[in-house]
Amino acid sequence: MTVLLGTENLYKEFTVRGSAFAEKKTLTAVAGVDLEIGAGETLGIAGESGCGKSTLARLLTALMPPTRGAIRYQGKELASMSAPELRNFRKEVQMIFQDPFSSLNPRMRVSEIIAEPLIIHGMGNASQRRERVAQLLERVGLSAGQFTRFPHEFSGGQRQRIGIARALAVSPRLIIADEPVSALDLSIQAQIMNLLQEVKRDLGLSFLFITHDLSVLKHLSDRIAIMYLGRIVETGSRDDVLTAPLHPYTEALLSAIPSIDPDKRRRRVIAKGELPSPVAPPPGCPFHTRCPYAQPVCSEQRPELEEKEPGHRAACHFSAEIYRTPQASR
Amino acid sequence: MSLLLEITGLCTEFPLRDGTLKAVRGVDLALEPGETLALVGESGCGKSITAASIMGLVPPPGRIVAGSILFKGKDLLKLSEGEMREVRGNRIGMIFQDPMTSLNPVFTVGYQIAEGLRIHRGVSRQEAESQAVQMLSEVGIPAAAERIRDYPHQLSGGMRQRVMIAMALACRPELVIADEPTTALDVTIQAQILELLDRLKEENRMGLILITHNLGIVAERAHRTAIMYAGQVVELAPTEELFKNPLHPYTRGLLASLPEFGKPGEPLATIAGTVPDLKGRLAGCAFSARCPVGDQSCLETPTEMKEAGPGHTVRCLKAP
Repeated sequence: MTVLLGTENLYKEFTVRGSAFAEKKTLTAVAGVDLEIGAGETLGIAGESGCGKSTLARLLTALMPPTRGAIRYQGKELASMSAPELRNFRKEVQMIFQDPFSSLNPRMRVSEIIAEPLIIHGMGNASQRRERVAQLLERVGLSAGQFTRFPHEFSGGQRQRIGIARALAVSPRLIIADEPVSALDLSIQAQIMNLLQEVKRDLGLSFLFITHDLSVLKHLSDRIAIMYLGRIVETGSRDDVLTAPLHPYTEALLSAIPSIDPDKRRRRVIAKGELPSPVAPPPGCPFHTRCPYAQPVCSEQRPELEEKEPGHRAACHFSAEIYRTPQASR
Repeated sequence: MSLLLEITGLCTEFPLRDGTLKAVRGVDLALEPGETLALVGESGCGKSITAASIMGLVPPPGRIVAGSILFKGKDLLKLSEGEMREVRGNRIGMIFQDPMTSLNPVFTVGYQIAEGLRIHRGVSRQEAESQAVQMLSEVGIPAAAERIRDYPHQLSGGMRQRVMIAMALACRPELVIADEPTTALDVTIQAQILELLDRLKEENRMGLILITHNLGIVAERAHRTAIMYAGQVVELAPTEELFKNPLHPYTRGLLASLPEFGKPGEPLATIAGTVPDLKGRLAGCAFSARCPVGDQSCLETPTEMKEAGPGHTVRCLKAP
């Protein structure tokens, strides 16, 4: 697998202060993330609000610079790219946003919205662009007759289709989608997930999906990474992570999903309490304050993200003891 | 058993400049004490307006044009605004979706919880405050005696939702309407809040109307489930029966489109088309234009709820 986009020990820190007179504090939103997205691969990142997944998306699309660490696109570090190289990166890595209501300019017609990236990157002349826009509209399941309409004339699902058409306009190689379906109604979610799946298959794109909804990831990803307080706590193939997790946080996330199938309702492992503040993360393992299996060592020593099984990594001192011993009946 | 709530033929409309939007078009529902009824449907199906109609909180220019809402035998639609105020927040509590916009940012959470107690129960300020502390610890907020002096912005989303629940339950209502109570929350916090609601419901024998679009939550929490589409209940059944034996094509479509049932990498089942315009005239079944089994007769014939099994009713001409 050739790596398209990768990060090494990536950090993003923000300076925050509670009030005008309070001391400045450092909020570490992304704390040492290593990840790789291969060509044609779909990586899913899951985590709850405040885990740093949206900050990670902004770093990966070069919308903000990291505090430390490296992001490499096709082996070349972003920080050392020349202006034309960076422009090319911004063309080849596109983004789909969560909220189709706030991510489209209400004063622009659909044709203008979709053509804008083409104009920015100087692709084609006016008539070629018009043809490309018509082709894209059809690709995402809208009719060419809707060319001159404004965003408010469309439903949420249709707007998300417009956002997808805009991302596809400049023929990207990687699409980063931050919660692409979570604002949509149930029956529309399925339509948009199918569209993303089709686009990925037909165009051979790489995808990075960021979501809190594991059932969406189960459907769309090849590999999954679970984030907690700025760190990746588990990563592996979709099936390994979802059916044989090695981190208690992943287990808690999975068991918290309400299920229709009574057979699938496993013993609830409810994570205690709430997400600790990323300004003052707990010492040791970041999850130990909520973990049902925590031992004294967990509050002292931070477990590294290690390969526990082939291709399946987890950051937990007791993965094997909790999940892979026969007497642990689960 | 006597019913806690009985809604018959409820119609709520919004006269707009370009026509009258019929948001709720003849809803019949009933609830027993201690029962959880789920109202399920997509945006615009009328589930939130049904809830607002029960609470007497239909936003203008909306108005209830027909039907009755009997709460313990008394028609809420015939009460004066003053009488309704006695019911609202006191005997019927409401939990809203977004705790950030439904809590008042300039009052402490303790004040907001105590307010209902002072108005409805006429207790003293001290007594109300001590009950507020007790409510807060009941909903699982640690160090409640200190937290009651916090303002909403000082609390996390999960904590704010707990405050909302404490407010709704402070007067020990007999009925609680929860409109998407956990949609704004993370899954691990969602699980905690749902456990909490179930426990408090059990302890107080409250009836609960749970409005949600999350079918997983419905399957785990509701005794009976009503599926709404275009302002009508299209199928109503005991929850387990509904998931095992869905009869309305819309219910079937919804269930089939869940990623939970899809095979990874394969297309999910979808429902073609979009919801009809509720400003127009709908002669027949509102779902017929999108229905895989509908035909010409469905477009023309008004549909009635019909009995399909014990406690299982469905609004479909083609249903067995």
